Amino acid sequence: MTESTATDVGADMTDDDVITDGPTDLAAPDAPDAPPPSEAAAMAARLAEAGRAKRISDRSRKVVAYVILSLFVVIAIGPAFYLISPAFRDSVSLFTYPPEWIPSEPTLENYRFLFSSTSYVRWAINTLIFAGSTTLLTLVTNSMAGYAFARLRFPGRNLLFFVILATLMVPVAAVLAPTYLTVNTIGDWPVIGDWIDIDTYLGLILPSAVSPLGVFMMRQFIETLPDGLYEAARLDGAGEWRIFTKIVLPLIKPALVVLGIFVFMLTWASYLWPLVAATDNEFRVLTVGIASLKGQFVTDWGILAAASLLTIVPVTIIFLFFQKWFVQASMAGALKQ
Amino acid sequence: MTTVDVAPQTASEDWAAPILSDAEYRWRARRYRFRTVRRAAGFLSPYLIIWGVFLAVPAVWGVFLSFNQGGLIRGDPRVFVGFDNWSRTLSDSELRTAVRNTSIYVVIAIGVVFTLAIFLASLLNHYRKGSNFFKVALYFPLLAPPILGALMWFFMVNFDFGILNLLKRGIFGGDGIRFLGDNPHALLTIVAVEVWRGLGFWVLFYLAGLQSVPEELQAAAKVDGAGKWRRFRRVTVPTLRPLLLFALVIAVIFNFQLFDSVQVLTDGGPRLGTATVVWFIHKRLFKFQDTGLAYASSVGMLIVVLILTGLSFWLLGKRRQREA
Repeated sequence: MTESTATDVGADMTDDDVITDGPTDLAAPDAPDAPPPSEAAAMAARLAEAGRAKRISDRSRKVVAYVILSLFVVIAIGPAFYLISPAFRDSVSLFTYPPEWIPSEPTLENYRFLFSSTSYVRWAINTLIFAGSTTLLTLVTNSMAGYAFARLRFPGRNLLFFVILATLMVPVAAVLAPTYLTVNTIGDWPVIGDWIDIDTYLGLILPSAVSPLGVFMMRQFIETLPDGLYEAARLDGAGEWRIFTKIVLPLIKPALVVLGIFVFMLTWASYLWPLVAATDNEFRVLTVGIASLKGQFVTDWGILAAASLLTIVPVTIIFLFFQKWFVQASMAGALKQ
Repeated sequence: MTTVDVAPQTASEDWAAPILSDAEYRWRARRYRFRTVRRAAGFLSPYLIIWGVFLAVPAVWGVFLSFNQGGLIRGDPRVFVGFDNWSRTLSDSELRTAVRNTSIYVVIAIGVVFTLAIFLASLLNHYRKGSNFFKVALYFPLLAPPILGALMWFFMVNFDFGILNLLKRGIFGGDGIRFLGDNPHALLTIVAVEVWRGLGFWVLFYLAGLQSVPEELQAAAKVDGAGKWRRFRRVTVPTLRPLLLFALVIAVIFNFQLFDSVQVLTDGGPRLGTATVVWFIHKRLFKFQDTGLAYASSVGMLIVVLILTGLSFWLLGKRRQREA
């Protein structure tokens, strides 16, 4: 019995387990029902043998695990590297066979074309305006609403919160047509229609800042702040707005950063709403612009690769510096969605 | 200012209330309620206005629109058509293809991505050395917008110079594969692209879940002689079950909206082989003038998503009740 248990436990041993080299430890002859010495020695030898075999198979298993993981890493980041060569060469040379991995005549022609003959810079600026304002607007409105739901008592509070939360699952695509019509209708109104319309910045931004996810996050976070803080501030004569700006906002900074990254990443990557709401080149964003570079029938591969590469590189650099925040942000979004 | 509002009120509850006349008491209560509402409204209105105008109203309006035709562009006035759109929704063959494709896509993509993610997360949970590097690297595809991820694969699967076809020709010989030009291939390529994009996220998701499984449980099972697979089946999976169910719901709702990569890679083709529901809606709205069908199918999609969400929350609640 002792033997079978010991090897069984050994079979599951790995280097990160607390009891490493389990078999020998467990074979320690201090057990109350210890077999006679000679038998014990034989058993110890057998166990040591099994342990050695175990360690070898452990090591090979470890190698296999790391090979698999590395393979997936190659798959994950490989496609981005596959853009590098086409971005710096003439598109025609892509089609030579056998393939020429490193271009014999590297050129910046694609980038020259991108900056001179397409509106890449305009798209990039629009993307920054679009994602930046959406993020800012979301942070302001959501933290205020979150504060109201967390701290203020008013009739109908729970019902209102439930109704807002219920819209969390509404897919963008399902309300695409009515949202488009809403923006279009507002665009026909006097004065306000000059600001909010299809092919305006606000028409692009406002419908992108509706998700209740942040309200929920902010409420949860503000609720965890100790009550004493508010009471102290209130006794000192601070009004709600003062309490919100001077006490609550500084304390929820980490949550704001996480929500901000999450919203920014989601917004600058979005495609469907910008595709229909910003058709004019003046308001077009990067995702729509780059997708438009892929022609319907003929594609200029070099320019497409150059534009894609140029777009990914800055994000990657920022990501490498702030990876912890990014991962946290994406998890926060998921766990609360 | 607020302090002045609140302080007398709390004080009156303590000692001044008895000397107030009924009318005065009611008046003060009303004034207090009015002030709390006004204060809350100040904080809520910025969000409520945007949310109301650009999400709540459109969601309700969409239901009304599904009984109409036209109205999206100038010169195409909106007319009420009753249940016409809905009956056409049920009989439209293109929509049926789109629903079928989307369902196939959702099932395969989620099946593959969850299996791979749980597998990789277990590996990372087990072999901790360097796991941070692997996590970051696997997360990388999420950085690029879906459009750019799809475009990267546009290069990878190209018939002439895509690395997949170069490898195929080099190893197996023969002609290349038309990843986006032939029929089962195109949808499977889209599945692959989306799996590639989502994998890192789900690995991190399950890794967080695995690490929340109490060590003592695992250790106890180990002492009882449970093998690796038994421990996974009997300890890990039951502990993670609520998380798994929740993940499944998010994944289904999210994947149901597949559009970006389809639009940029195949535009629904070849011969509707990659037509999805959202692609269909977008096409009907902005390419053809058949708005009515798009309105109705949008609402249909909304209903399906809401039913799925409600169902899953109900299931989660029931399970929790049973466990409690």
